[in-house]
Parts: sequence; structure tokens; C-alpha cells
Amino acid sequence: MAVDMNVFRGFGEQIRNLPNRARPTDCPDGERVARAKAVFAAKLDATKATHLESCIHCGLCAEACQFYLQTEDPELTPIHKLDLLKRYYRREKAPLRFFHRLFEADITEADLEATQYLVYESCTECGRCGLACPMGIDIASMVNVTRQGLAEAGLIPAGLRAVEQEQGEHGTVFGVGPEQLCTAVEELRARGYEVPVDKERADILVLTSTIDVLLFNDALEATVKVMNHLGVDWTLHTCAFEGANFGLLSGYEKVQKSASERITHQAIALGAKLVIVPECGHAYPAMRWEGANEHGGPLPFEVMAISEFLGREIQAGRLKVEPIGRDKHVTYHDPCKVGRHGGVFAEPRAVLAALDVDLDEMPSNRATNFCCGGGAGLFVMEGAEPMRNAAFDLKREQVEATRAQTVVTACGSCRVNLLAGAVRTDWDRGIESLVELVGNNLKNPSPSP
Amino acid sequence: MSFAEFVDGPFWYFSAIVFAVGSLWRLIGMLTMGRHSDYSVPRASGTSGAVATNIRRFFPRREFWSRIKLQVVAGYLFHVGLFALLFFAAPHVEFYREKVLGFGWPAMPEWAFVVTSELAFFGLLLLILHRLISPVTRRISARGDYIGSILIFVVMLTGCLALARSYEPLRVLHFFLAELLLIYFPFSTLIHTFTFPFSRGFSGAHYGRRGVSV
Repeated sequence: MAVDMNVFRGFGEQIRNLPNRARPTDCPDGERVARAKAVFAAKLDATKATHLESCIHCGLCAEACQFYLQTEDPELTPIHKLDLLKRYYRREKAPLRFFHRLFEADITEADLEATQYLVYESCTECGRCGLACPMGIDIASMVNVTRQGLAEAGLIPAGLRAVEQEQGEHGTVFGVGPEQLCTAVEELRARGYEVPVDKERADILVLTSTIDVLLFNDALEATVKVMNHLGVDWTLHTCAFEGANFGLLSGYEKVQKSASERITHQAIALGAKLVIVPECGHAYPAMRWEGANEHGGPLPFEVMAISEFLGREIQAGRLKVEPIGRDKHVTYHDPCKVGRHGGVFAEPRAVLAALDVDLDEMPSNRATNFCCGGGAGLFVMEGAEPMRNAAFDLKREQVEATRAQTVVTACGSCRVNLLAGAVRTDWDRGIESLVELVGNNLKNPSPSP
Repeated sequence: MSFAEFVDGPFWYFSAIVFAVGSLWRLIGMLTMGRHSDYSVPRASGTSGAVATNIRRFFPRREFWSRIKLQVVAGYLFHVGLFALLFFAAPHVEFYREKVLGFGWPAMPEWAFVVTSELAFFGLLLLILHRLISPVTRRISARGDYIGSILIFVVMLTGCLALARSYEPLRVLHFFLAELLLIYFPFSTLIHTFTFPFSRGFSGAHYGRRGVSV
């Protein structure tokens, strides 16, 4: 099913209006530095200290960063984005802090404000820079710590702050709550699908996301088809359906924790053995890698991305698909948070192999794949548009180096950014969801309209 | 006490102590800051990831090669050359035998010393030029990076001259500058000599348990 471009444009309009919805922050002037420092103090451990101690200022990280490659602006050098954190570390935590204090000035509110653009609008925390570092410094994770400090200091950019505030206060994202989910479910039921909602017990809790409810209904529909095709015991739940976590994206950990704990508690109440995260890049690490840490202990259920689940079911022979044929030329865009940060590379490729399409990989793929440019919340930041466009232009070059006519991916915000770039540049390549491809090509599909 | 006696005696002991204590202080300090617990279920072994990343980072990825080859080649020339000079130049082996360890090992012949030092100089000069010319390295470099590079350069230069000319004042000057470098070492980015296996290892373990080879 093609994306309704009127809905897509409406979604874009909502995003542009986000800054008007953002409330002022509750952080009084004069407290920002102290609040940011408290976060830095809590988050800097031996790993991060070692990374901050090891930089040799070689600048190789810049050569891996899409934003530097596209702009050649040295201000966008990834390690430079950590200057604020590094200064705090050297003065307050480093073993030689007594020495560094002689030369390093303390951080100020102006420093925090100057860092906002570097760690929000011009970094998707994609982690590609870390692959080029000869010291193995994980820059992306420390950009995230810097975001956490700025978030606590009330310096989240307005667009992102609006969504974080909404999710923190109402549990909804872009106004999508239980009612909107039920409306989407009723539409699917009206078309003949059986969609279990709010079961008391279920083996599998399936999450969705606002983007799928509002815009990419095809992905939600395909997920329903797949789960019914497999005949597993699954449910959606109105108390815990939103995979997107704007606490993680903004760096505001209180909201991150409440969003992931809502899902964890519901999955435990259901007795679920598995939670499936939708095609939403950051939703995967939010539950798969950070969910247990926010919970304070191991989770009593597995967490899988939908692309991972599809691949494993196909590899196990439980999910059967009809071959599409080698005359469909595709390339696969690995969402950074699912691939480079999550290790899900083989499963989506197993799906494409089962569909028997012609997969032509981009020059940089799997761990070195370039980000779509909209990750880590950039797709809702008003000031990030030039960066998003720059990233899309690079991605476009990568795709055009293949014979693919279609870019397949497994992340809603990647789809949004790629689609926005395609519209902007009148690009003729298609952008499709992996689960949609599977849903449309199930062998002996379950009853459908 | 002559300057030569000062350099060969008390200043040598002082610089060696600052180097050892300072480096250990910094290493132990950073490694004992504690680590946050990770309760997520690993996909693969973090330990294997740490070892693999330590090895893998000696070889840049194909995707980055075309843009970083100058720095990589210059870096290898300098680091391998410096390592060979430091541990296999005949006067150094003799120094370790006499003043530090009490035993020595075969040194490289003079022709190898000449070739190695030329390659190391070439690598170091390229790296310094790159730091001065590239907008990126100019933006991120600190005063300490230039001080470290210059100190290493003059230590290497005086070392080569001392060997070529067999002139005692040059040896003393070389030794004095090397001692300054030892004192400067723990306060500078030169500490990466010791931190790199830990830094690579922590990233390798983090991503390794997620099933990603970095």
C-alpha cells in the first residue's frame, strides 16, 4: 500500500508546528550548569573516562561522519562535540584534575547553549565515527551523555522538547493514545483482520509506533498479517503500545524510564515471553539494551525488533513467503540503532533472501552504513533540516551506486527522512518497509480482505 | 655537579619517577572509576569483542581508507620506527642493560638504524604537517599536542645527531630532552601509549555483546 502523500504532508506540518507546542523549560537560569554537572558526574564511569583520556586529536572521526563529509565544516568533527563533557571531566573527575584546573576554565551556561547545536541538531548518534577511531572511542554514547546533561539543564531543542513533554505528561506521542490506536485497529478489523487487543495473557506483546498509526498503516497491517499467519498467541495493548521513546532521544532519562517501564510492567502482567518492537530504530535499543537497565535488573522476556523476528521465523522455517523475483532490485538500509547499535544485520537479509529479490548492497553497508539523517530525533528538530538534507544527499549517492530501484528499511523515521528527501529532490527510487514486503508476500496468507 | 652529571644522575631519576608514578596514577585513576551495570542479555561475548576490536583497530576499514590513508601510513611509519629506535637502537639497548634492567638484547645494525630513523622522521613530519594544515586537526588540537610533537621531534633529532657525531654534548642534550619528554608524558595525550588497549577493549566489549564487530 502506498503512503498517502496528503497524510505525509500533514505529518510534516505537525512536525513544523512542534516548536509552538513546546512549553518553556522548568530549569531556572543559574541552575543549568549545576544540573548538567550532576548528570555528567553520575554518567561518567571507567569506560567513558578511558575514552576521554585516550583521544589523540587525530580527527579521523570526522572522515566517517556524514555531516562532516557533506559540509567539510570542522566544527562538526565528532570528537569536538565532546569538548563540554571533556572539560567537565578534566576539571572534576580526571585523576589529574588538580593539574587540569590550572589551565581549564569551568563550564558556563553559555558553553551549554553553544553545545546544544553540536549534540542535537548536528548529530544522530549514529556511531559511525567510532568505527574510524584508532583508539576505539565510542563518541556516540558520550554525545548521548551530553544530551542527558543538557536535557536536565532544560536545553532540549523546542521541537524535540514538545514531543518529550507530551510523552512524559500524557504518555502519548503526536496525540496518539489508546483511542487513536483503537481507531486504527477498528479500521483493520473492518477490513477483515483479526486484531487482538488488551488480552489478559499473551505470549507476545507487539508494540507499534505513532508513525505507524498515523502514517505507515501498511507496516501495522503487515505486522498483524504476519502474527496471524504464524498463529501465535499475541496482543496489542492500549496501556503499552508505543515503542517510540522520546526520553531516550531527548536525553531526558525520567521520561525514558517511564516509557520503557510502562512496556516492561505490561509485558510482565501479560506473562509475555517476547516483546516485539516495531519498525522504529531507537525503540529497539530503548527496550532491548536499555530496558533492563531502566528496570534495574534482567527482563523476564525477550525483546526483538520486528526485522529480527521476521528473519528468525523465516530461518526457523515457521514463516513462509512467496518469492517476489529477481527482477525486483533492492538495497537494504540498516537503521543505525538496530544495526550498528543493535547487531541486527543477518536477519533482514535472510528475509530478503527468502523473498528472492535482487539485493545489491550500498558501498557502505551493515556496520558502516550511513544514517538516514533523521535519527536520534533529528526528524523533529526544526534546526536540523540542513543536516537532514545533507545526509539524504549522501544516502542518495550510496543508493545510486547500486542497481536498486527500491530502498528497503525497517525503521519508520528512516522512512520519513528518506521519503522527505525523495519528495524534495524528486527522486524516482521507492522506499519500502521490510515488514510490508513480508506481509504482502505471505504464503497461503490468513484470511484478509 | 656538571650539567652532564645532573642529567645523568638526579634529573634522570626524577624524570623516571614522574613518568612512572604519573602514568600509573592516571591509569589507575581512570580504571577504578567503576562501571555501570548492564542487565541486558548479551547476544555474544563481550570479552571476545574486546580482544577482536584490539586487533581489528590496527587495520582501518576499507570504507574509510581513501580519506585517511595519509594519516594511517604516516602513523605507522612513525610509530613502528619510534618503537624500533626506542628498543633496538644500539645505544638504547646499552642504556637499558647498564641503567635500567641489567641485561640487554641484540641491537639493530647501523644501516637499519639509519633507515628506521629516516622513516620515523618522515612519518612524524607528515603527522605534524597534517595537524598544522588540516582544518579538522587545527580545530581540535590543543597546545599540548604541539608540545608533544615538538618534544618527540627534537629528542629524535638529537638522538640521531648524537649517534652520527659521537659527540658527548649532543648525547647529554638528547638525554636531557628525553627526560623532559618523560616528565611531560603523564600530563599529555602521549598517555594513549598505555590507554589504547583499554579504550579499544571497552568499545569492543560493549558492541561485542550486542553482536556487532567494531
